[in-house]
Amino acid sequence: MYRSQKLSLRYFTAAIVLFGVMILFGLLSALYYLYPSMLFNVFNFSTSKILHIDTLVIWLLMAFMGAVYWYLPKELGHEVVGMRLAEITFWVFCAVVAVVALVFVFVQYGSANEFTLWFINQGRKYVEAPRWATIGVVAVMLVFAYNVIGTAVKARRMTGIMWVLVLDLIPLLIVYLDAFPAPTNMSVDLYWWWWLVHMWVESTWEVLIGCVMALVLMDVMGTSRRIVEAWLYIEVMLVLGAGILGLGHHYFWIGTPRYWLGIGGFFSALEPLPLLGMVIHSIYDAGMHRMKTANRPAFYWITAEAFGNFIGAGVWGFMMTLPQINLFSHGTQWTVSHGHFAFYGAYVCGVLAVFYVAKQKTAGTEFLDGRAWKWSFGLFNFGMIGMVMGLLIAGMAQAFYGRAIGGSTLMAFTQASENPWFIAGMYARMGFGVIFALGYVVLVYDLLTAPRRVPAPQTPMEPA
Amino acid sequence: MTPAALIETAVLLGLLVLAGGGYAGLYGYGRLRARPALVAAATACWIAALAIALAIAVVTPLDAGWKVLVVVSAIVYAVIPPATWRYLERLHVAEGEGP
Ligand code: HEM
Ligand code: HEM
Ligand SMILES: [Fe+2]
Repeated sequence: MYRSQKLSLRYFTAAIVLFGVMILFGLLSALYYLYPSMLFNVFNFSTSKILHIDTLVIWLLMAFMGAVYWYLPKELGHEVVGMRLAEITFWVFCAVVAVVALVFVFVQYGSANEFTLWFINQGRKYVEAPRWATIGVVAVMLVFAYNVIGTAVKARRMTGIMWVLVLDLIPLLIVYLDAFPAPTNMSVDLYWWWWLVHMWVESTWEVLIGCVMALVLMDVMGTSRRIVEAWLYIEVMLVLGAGILGLGHHYFWIGTPRYWLGIGGFFSALEPLPLLGMVIHSIYDAGMHRMKTANRPAFYWITAEAFGNFIGAGVWGFMMTLPQINLFSHGTQWTVSHGHFAFYGAYVCGVLAVFYVAKQKTAGTEFLDGRAWKWSFGLFNFGMIGMVMGLLIAGMAQAFYGRAIGGSTLMAFTQASENPWFIAGMYARMGFGVIFALGYVVLVYDLLTAPRRVPAPQTPMEPA
Repeated sequence: MTPAALIETAVLLGLLVLAGGGYAGLYGYGRLRARPALVAAATACWIAALAIALAIAVVTPLDAGWKVLVVVSAIVYAVIPPATWRYLERLHVAEGEGP
């Protein structure tokens, strides 16, 4: 095992721990919807939700970095350069996250001044961490970039996948930075903040997970490099072609010019297309390489990623991406439904596949299978689908009663929150959230226990 | 947009993409296993997608531009799964991994 793969395992461990923290705060956040005055002024919903969604971003980033550290030396046939620095920054990263989390829990918020921006909370959804921590994260990312690029230079080698990855890291970092200058004009502020959120999840992360999936496909299913690379290029072109201007679907109601209605609606309506291509690709590869796969959990999670990405992002996103619909659905639980489904389908499923790749390597088994992973696979998917269905119903009730009938007044909002459909949706989300959490428990159990030695099947499992 | 039309339109838009997914998925699986019945079901999904697109054009209060976009993309979409499939096949044959 390469030294950087040991670091990967550390990143994966940290990611899984934060995944657990995220689920805990997700459950807690959901509870406020059932008991709205719970912990009032002691530990408010807003803080709980911040912890939920900030850990989401951080654990996925850590898992991505782990995945790159895992495959980099294999790809380039060279140990990663700057490993000492990388190992130190891992601990720096963890320390930054821990301190920020403690500040969020115990200090929570400050008055509207520079001190708060620097040391408590920047108040930007998904990236609330104060400025000093943002600088810390940037430093970590710079070291990461140095590791990747330095290794390529040292190895005097570059593969197509690595090119895509390196070129993708540049905008990924730049849009992270563009969100922090804190202009006092709310429209300007949101304008740039959306670059961060949208360009991450619908462009740069989508490309990054494309690279990771390409690497896993070669690894787990033995797909040839030329195939995954040819496919990756097409996917990247389509994702960026639709995704960049798809940004406009967040510029409908924030004070940006009218032309964004057309641009945003049009380009984001094209966004499901590449996701469909990935479904076809995954069916093709799954079918062609089914018998060769020696890692069943990874295989199932990659397949789930293709479908989940398509349905969560493609179908759920398309439902509300035209401005005439978004006018009513904007910012309701409908959005939350899409947010959960898309993040889960596109990123969580993919990252779980990588965890199982690492598990197989560390366990040293030829063939990875078993019972526990199936339980966790089932509980996760069942819990998530139940959650997003509950949220969809709740969100539609909000759009229907609160917006379309009630005319978006505060009174109408309150009344919609007391509507039986809304309340039922909130209970469903809580219940299915618990099921999702059980999936996590089984996942951790499964990853920590040594696999039983299952002999690789001698005969094909199923005729192709 | 009336409250009922809002939900109808959104659901139709969702179903449109889902039917497109059904077309792509069934087409891919049908070709993979060489099962004409599945490929036929895939075609049925595409017809459903087209019907949904036409329904969107006729019954919903979306602006004309969106209706054109929806119907045109549903029509163009007919060729995408087969074209993707042919491309993947060519790619795999070139790599000696062909079916
Ligand atoms: C036990 C499981 C979970 C529960 C109970 C839960 C609950 C919640 C709650 C209550 C909110 C606040 C929504 C609001 O502002 O009204 C939220 C937001 C969010 N959660 Fe979760 N969550 C869970 C798992 C997840 C997972 C697995 C992901 C990602 C894969 C995720 C991603 C998000 C995102 C992106 C938001 C922000 C959505 C928005 O405001 O539009 N959550 N979650
Ligand atoms: C992996 C891909 C995607 C992820 C992870 C994702 C995630 C999210 C999240 C978390 C939000 C809520 C943002 C917030 O207000 O805090 C959101 C909003 C939105 N997404 Fe996506 N999304 C993805 C792809 C798509 C696609 C492909 C479409 C369109 C076809 C789309 C359409 C929208 C729209 C219209 C909104 C705004 C909702 C509103 O106005 O409240 N998304 N997305
Ligand atoms: Fe977006």
